[in-house]
Amino acid sequence: MTDPHNPNPDPLLHSEVQQASLAGYISGYTLTVVFLGIGLLITQLHGLQPAPLLVTISGLAIFLLIAQCMLFFGLDVSRYNIWKTVSLILTVPLFILSIGLTVWMFHALGPVMAMPEMPGMPLQPTVLQ
Amino acid sequence: MDAHAKHEGPLPPLWHYGETEHDPISTKTLGFWLYMLSDALIFAGLFAAYGVLDQPMNAAGGPGIAKIVHPVAAFWQTIAVLSSVLAYSLATVALKTGNRNGVLAGIIAAIVLGIIFVGLEFADFASLFAIGATPDTSGMLSAFYILVATHGLHMMFGILWMLVLIPQIFLSGFNTAVVTRLLNLRLFWQFQASVWVCVYVFVYLRGTIQ
Repeated sequence: MTDPHNPNPDPLLHSEVQQASLAGYISGYTLTVVFLGIGLLITQLHGLQPAPLLVTISGLAIFLLIAQCMLFFGLDVSRYNIWKTVSLILTVPLFILSIGLTVWMFHALGPVMAMPEMPGMPLQPTVLQ
Repeated sequence: MDAHAKHEGPLPPLWHYGETEHDPISTKTLGFWLYMLSDALIFAGLFAAYGVLDQPMNAAGGPGIAKIVHPVAAFWQTIAVLSSVLAYSLATVALKTGNRNGVLAGIIAAIVLGIIFVGLEFADFASLFAIGATPDTSGMLSAFYILVATHGLHMMFGILWMLVLIPQIFLSGFNTAVVTRLLNLRLFWQFQASVWVCVYVFVYLRGTIQ
């Protein structure tokens, strides 16, 4: 924590330095390795159908990303980190729009693209071809 | 009615003419955080492209993703990148007390583990090239290589950044500029762990489902 009235404070006393957490980093590391190991195990054992398996590993990734935000980046709503947290929350819709909508749109095109070609009526070229 | 009519005494200044002392560490780390979010959007674009092109039709007769990815082998990369991130993070724990040897040991361990990660990635790419799975084979493979290699490129620049910081620690000590760079590098390096989680789950693990 710095004193705003002191122009040359010790940089090591800054809240950004002092927020480093041994327990947090080790927890983040352990959680990530263990849960990615679990993800590897369930995909290799083929215990689930493809669709539920995809949902499970996607949920696992989202859980790990949230855990890393808290344990690695130290995001919270304290006055030192609130703007990082807010800017991330405001960026999340952009991730959803850019990845989710793009993939959904092209997957919706899939059945159209896979239609058999009718005699004398060639398929229109698209960006996928 | 004049807004100042009821004001007594000297008017407060509309703005402050003197220099205002900003907190350089807070402003620079927030600025770098915003850069990392824009970098994350680059990865979002690459994941979107990969999600679109990861179709059997886009394999263009070449190998499909299930034949390309080896999640068990890639788990060693997972261990390497996460251990490197942990080592650097522990270096910043040592920074709290100004422990220079602790900081240097953490950075050197992070460099070594980072080089192991990049080496494993190069070996993986070399084995794919050996079976003819090159980026120009298909749209799917182009998207795969670009996505994975962009993360690898970030890792290489992170290693370079660490190599540049080591002499700065010796020459300048833990002054405000060096501490700010160390903190921004922590953010950059931890971000690589988050991106790798997405790469491992959505490319390597998902690839075996198909």
